[in-house]
Amino acid sequence: MIAWLARRLAWMALVLWLVATATFFGALSIGDPVQTLAGPHATARDRAYIRAHYHLDRPRTTQYAYFLGSLARGDLGQSFRYHRPVTELVGERLPRTMLLGVMTLAIEFVLGVAVGTLAAVKRRTRVETAVLGATFLGISLPTFLSGKLCLMVFAYWFGWFPLGGYGTTALDHVWHGVLPALVLGLLGTSSEARLVRNEMVETLQADYVRTARAKGASEWQVVVHHALRNALLPVLTSLGLSFGALFSGAIITEQIFAWPGLGRLAYESVTGFDVPVIMGTVLLASTGILAGNLVADVGYAVLDPRIRRA
Amino acid sequence: MDLVDPRAVARFRRNRGALAGLVIVLVAVVLSTLAPLLAPHNPDTPYKNRTLTTQGVPIGPTREFPLGADAVGRCELSRVLYGGRVSLIVAFAATGIVVLLGTLVGLVAGYFGGTLDTVLMRGVDTLMTFPFMLTVMALNRVVARPGLWVVFVVLGALSWTSLARQVRAKTLQLREQEFVLAARALGASTPRVLLVHVLPNLATLIIVIATSVVAQMILAESALSMLGVGVVPPTASWGSMLQESESLTRAVPRLTLVPGVAIVLTVVGFNLLGEGLRDAFDPKG
Repeated sequence: MIAWLARRLAWMALVLWLVATATFFGALSIGDPVQTLAGPHATARDRAYIRAHYHLDRPRTTQYAYFLGSLARGDLGQSFRYHRPVTELVGERLPRTMLLGVMTLAIEFVLGVAVGTLAAVKRRTRVETAVLGATFLGISLPTFLSGKLCLMVFAYWFGWFPLGGYGTTALDHVWHGVLPALVLGLLGTSSEARLVRNEMVETLQADYVRTARAKGASEWQVVVHHALRNALLPVLTSLGLSFGALFSGAIITEQIFAWPGLGRLAYESVTGFDVPVIMGTVLLASTGILAGNLVADVGYAVLDPRIRRA
Repeated sequence: MDLVDPRAVARFRRNRGALAGLVIVLVAVVLSTLAPLLAPHNPDTPYKNRTLTTQGVPIGPTREFPLGADAVGRCELSRVLYGGRVSLIVAFAATGIVVLLGTLVGLVAGYFGGTLDTVLMRGVDTLMTFPFMLTVMALNRVVARPGLWVVFVVLGALSWTSLARQVRAKTLQLREQEFVLAARALGASTPRVLLVHVLPNLATLIIVIATSVVAQMILAESALSMLGVGVVPPTASWGSMLQESESLTRAVPRLTLVPGVAIVLTVVGFNLLGEGLRDAFDPKG
């Protein structure tokens, strides 16, 4: 297990280096950063000064070495737009997106498992048909449409939730996060529910479930204790693997709900050619995706003793 | 051997959802293809004095403009028809790239194994680590003057990894089977084994996945265009129509609803079709 973990971590470091390299060369091809930095009224001397100041007059390989060096020191450079260190900007936004992410994952897990189990237990009834229909719509509905719809209905018409933004106190943040988390979690909840239903339909026919029933266990005991426990394994894995989709969704959701998180920062950096911020958010998101994959794998090994040695 | 298992066809025809999906997809494709014949107006011409009130508010549906006018007085029906064309072209072209790259990499990695497999699959892992939406947005920005091709090339180039993994897994199974061994023993060349013996057995898997990829690509295109980094106005696509109606959602909800319903219906259609095909070809899975 330890050796496996060490190999996994080494591989993660290698992937991050590959991502960093691709991002570095990709980002520099987006356009001349001097143009963005200097603005339209800069003189040739200004531009030359900026070029020298940011080492943009050196060969690409030297620049790359500088980049890797500062990356190793945890320095992601300065934002062109905010003129602040990228780490500072990202550090400010990250907790907000993490709050949204945690709320979303909680919704996906609780709602997905509950609805999926319900459908499996009530197999071949209207309940199952309704769940399958609703979750099918859930995976087909684009985030920006469901987001606008939610905003319109629950915030604008009914006035139950704020129209967007982040709020001021901790409780207020959670309050402001409910609608965006629901919207962001719609896709995940639907696919989790479908997954849980499929797993549960199969598990409920397993021999050990019949044994449990034969021994006189209550239906609740059978479903929750015997069947669900085994059906949860793939659910946890798919939650761990969903970090990438979560971040992609966050870009859109944060935009709709004016949630000042990482997704919004990423969007602004792309539209505003803020190259250091683009690189920083890509690297951070990649790290998150890799961490999610790792959690999924480790979780699998911990929960299922049969795979512990692999 | 039949190319398509008749039992699969029978299963598909009994599946009402799958048939509904097929009908929706066909309708969407036909309507978009025939847009120039069906559209009552030029999608890019503003008919201001006929379609905007004196206050500049677009009119609702009339006989001449069946879905009303958009914010600058263009025919909404014509735009949604032409927009479907653009959205579907982007989605199909991106899916084509996904199928090509995913099949090639998955087939080669799975069949040859060894170092080549390791290198290719590690590359797939790395590509999967990139945050999809952000990378697509950034890449769309790399090109100074974005055209349609940029959108679908970027979408396709970043979306083939999951198909490659599944093709590889299936190829790993197939290459151990007797008919492949027999073909090799009879002296078939490697390209022949791959194309004539292995690839046909991957066809149903690829078709099933590709169908749902089309749905994902429609969603991705509209999300990108909606954020202003995909198909750029004035070119109508379902996403760019949503983007243009953004500030008017509350005043004229129709302008959000029309492209929105088009997107959801088409995506539901492709997803239903994909699921129906999956159930038909692989009833256990």
